[in-house]
Amino acid sequence: MAQKPKDDPATYPALGRMLGWVDKPGSDKKIVWALVVACAMALAIEWTFTPHGTFQVEYIRGFYAAYGFVMFTGLILVAKALRYFIKRPEDYYGDKAIDTEEYPADQLDIREYTDV
Amino acid sequence: MFDVIPTAFIFFAAAAILLALPKGPARGLLLLITPIIAGVQVWNAGFGNFVQVGFFGFELELMRIDGLSRIFTMVFCLAAFLGNLYAWHVRDTVQQVAALLYAGSAIGAVLAGDMITLFFYWEGTAIASVFLIWARRTEGAYNTGMRYLIIQVASGVVLIAGVALFYRETGSIAFERMTLGSPGTWLIFMSFGVKCAFPLLHNWLQDSYPAATVTGTVILSAFTTKLAVYALARGFAGTEILIYIGTVMTLFPIFFAEIENDLRRVLAYSLNNQLGFMVVGIGIGTEMALNGTASHAFAHILYKSLLFMSVGAVLFRTGTSKASELGGLYRTMPKTAIFCLVGAASISAFPLFSGFVTKSLTLSAVAEEHRLIIWLCLVFASAGVLSHSGIKIPFFAFFAHDSGKRPKEAPTHMLWAMGITAFLCIAIGIYPAPLYAILPFEVQDAHPYTTGHVTSQLQLLLFALLAFTFLYRKGIHPPEIRAVNVDTDWTYRKAGPAVIYWLAWVVGSIYNGIIGLLAKTTTRTIRRLHNSHGPEGRMARNWPTGAMVLAIAVLLGATLLVNFLI
Repeated sequence: MAQKPKDDPATYPALGRMLGWVDKPGSDKKIVWALVVACAMALAIEWTFTPHGTFQVEYIRGFYAAYGFVMFTGLILVAKALRYFIKRPEDYYGDKAIDTEEYPADQLDIREYTDV
Repeated sequence: MFDVIPTAFIFFAAAAILLALPKGPARGLLLLITPIIAGVQVWNAGFGNFVQVGFFGFELELMRIDGLSRIFTMVFCLAAFLGNLYAWHVRDTVQQVAALLYAGSAIGAVLAGDMITLFFYWEGTAIASVFLIWARRTEGAYNTGMRYLIIQVASGVVLIAGVALFYRETGSIAFERMTLGSPGTWLIFMSFGVKCAFPLLHNWLQDSYPAATVTGTVILSAFTTKLAVYALARGFAGTEILIYIGTVMTLFPIFFAEIENDLRRVLAYSLNNQLGFMVVGIGIGTEMALNGTASHAFAHILYKSLLFMSVGAVLFRTGTSKASELGGLYRTMPKTAIFCLVGAASISAFPLFSGFVTKSLTLSAVAEEHRLIIWLCLVFASAGVLSHSGIKIPFFAFFAHDSGKRPKEAPTHMLWAMGITAFLCIAIGIYPAPLYAILPFEVQDAHPYTTGHVTSQLQLLLFALLAFTFLYRKGIHPPEIRAVNVDTDWTYRKAGPAVIYWLAWVVGSIYNGIIGLLAKTTTRTIRRLHNSHGPEGRMARNWPTGAMVLAIAVLLGATLLVNFLI
């Protein structure tokens, strides 16, 4: 999975170069901080109006935030535990299963971005 | 013969015409025009029952257009158009014909006013669609297709058995709302359940969709399961058990999707989860809930197609759709990456995207019924959707670690197909009124963009994203690894064959034992006789040569006597 030796970002599509910002050193921290700020705003804005809903829990300010964070974390942890039980090697179903065979190349158009 | 041509027949006629056309753009155009003609026909026809034909004493209704069937027909036509545009490059006649017959059958089933017509089209979708899997032309795809076909055809067989019992019971074959109770209705219900991928009946979906061709999966994802959703909405709206089935459906796939490596299989799990929301809506059965189901199906077909298209484009350019082999593709496939992000935002129900305005109808309907537990489960499932479809698909394919792959951007026609679909996802999200206008029932005071609703949804999603960021950066998030996960298909791919091998061994052993015993006994008997009566046997030794001479003499004497007397 090493980088290709003659990989020149200057030749990427313009849009690709723009998106390349996400991999610049320090960008990841900026993204995380932007997310934290967005979360804080989404939480803070709830105090500017009176929440309403059908269920009692909807009246608790920050309920959705807490529920989203906790349940998401729980989901990942449970899924991780589940993997322990259901994970099998890729060739578990033998060599006549789609998991092990290559996709037929004649039906694809595999190209490098430098290819014409 | 008919005043109105049944819409399905337009597709079947197109399939026949297609064979006469040369391979290339002419066929591509036919594949694009057909769904447009069909869509225009249904849109202009208005509501009513248009085609009746006699069939062995039954009156079959081939064209029932009402609010419910119209929205499903329209979105099926749209999906067929977009799928065929995405498949513009395909020169494989099998796939092109299969795509037309499949879409035609699905639309025919939706417009069926009776259950015999429904059955024919139901099986039609099964048979036509399997060719989209077999068209991959590998042994693995062949085997998967066989499993798929057996399950799909079995669903049809169960359906017709149910219809027969239902007819004996009620004397009617009309496809209307039923009450679950008699064996007939249960069979019909289970038949719909198989196609709708109910829990434990679901695994054909995750087994087969990743096995289809690049374009085949996009087409498959639109029809079969949503046909089942339509059938349930038509036949079993307000059936309480569906609320619980649907809730389980929203929950269990999100765990499997989280740890699945093949991104097309992740999307199949995600599809299963989305069906759960629709099934809950059907179970609630109020007008608002059914509107929620119909609008969710509409939006879902679009964003799910979009996600399958973007992952398909990656597969088309790199040869793999496994997350462990991908990453960092945004550099050279930026447009596909952005379209994928639009699909991800739509399915995650971010405000301004289609999922937000459609899912809210279902959730409101659940809230109106004061079902707190169900509601909490669905909100949790919404966060789960974000985890696998909203984050995992775009992040691990296009961002995350750099796989070193630098594929070329997707072909132009694929970009157009994705672009139009992405546009529709955003358009519905920003301006849902046209979609609300074609829902089966009048939409009453649906205001998805209230401050409270937007805030709560943003809180849920942003804090879930925050949790992801935290877990990913801490290395707790499960890594993408080359592996498969067993699901219920284990029962018929591993356990079933193992039991059969074991039984074969037992029966074989008993058979061999009996045959061996018989052979041994016979050999022993022959040997014993040989010992006693054989040339070296004791009996043989007791017959001296003189005895033989005496016997011949007696024989000759007797002959002489007989001659003499005669």
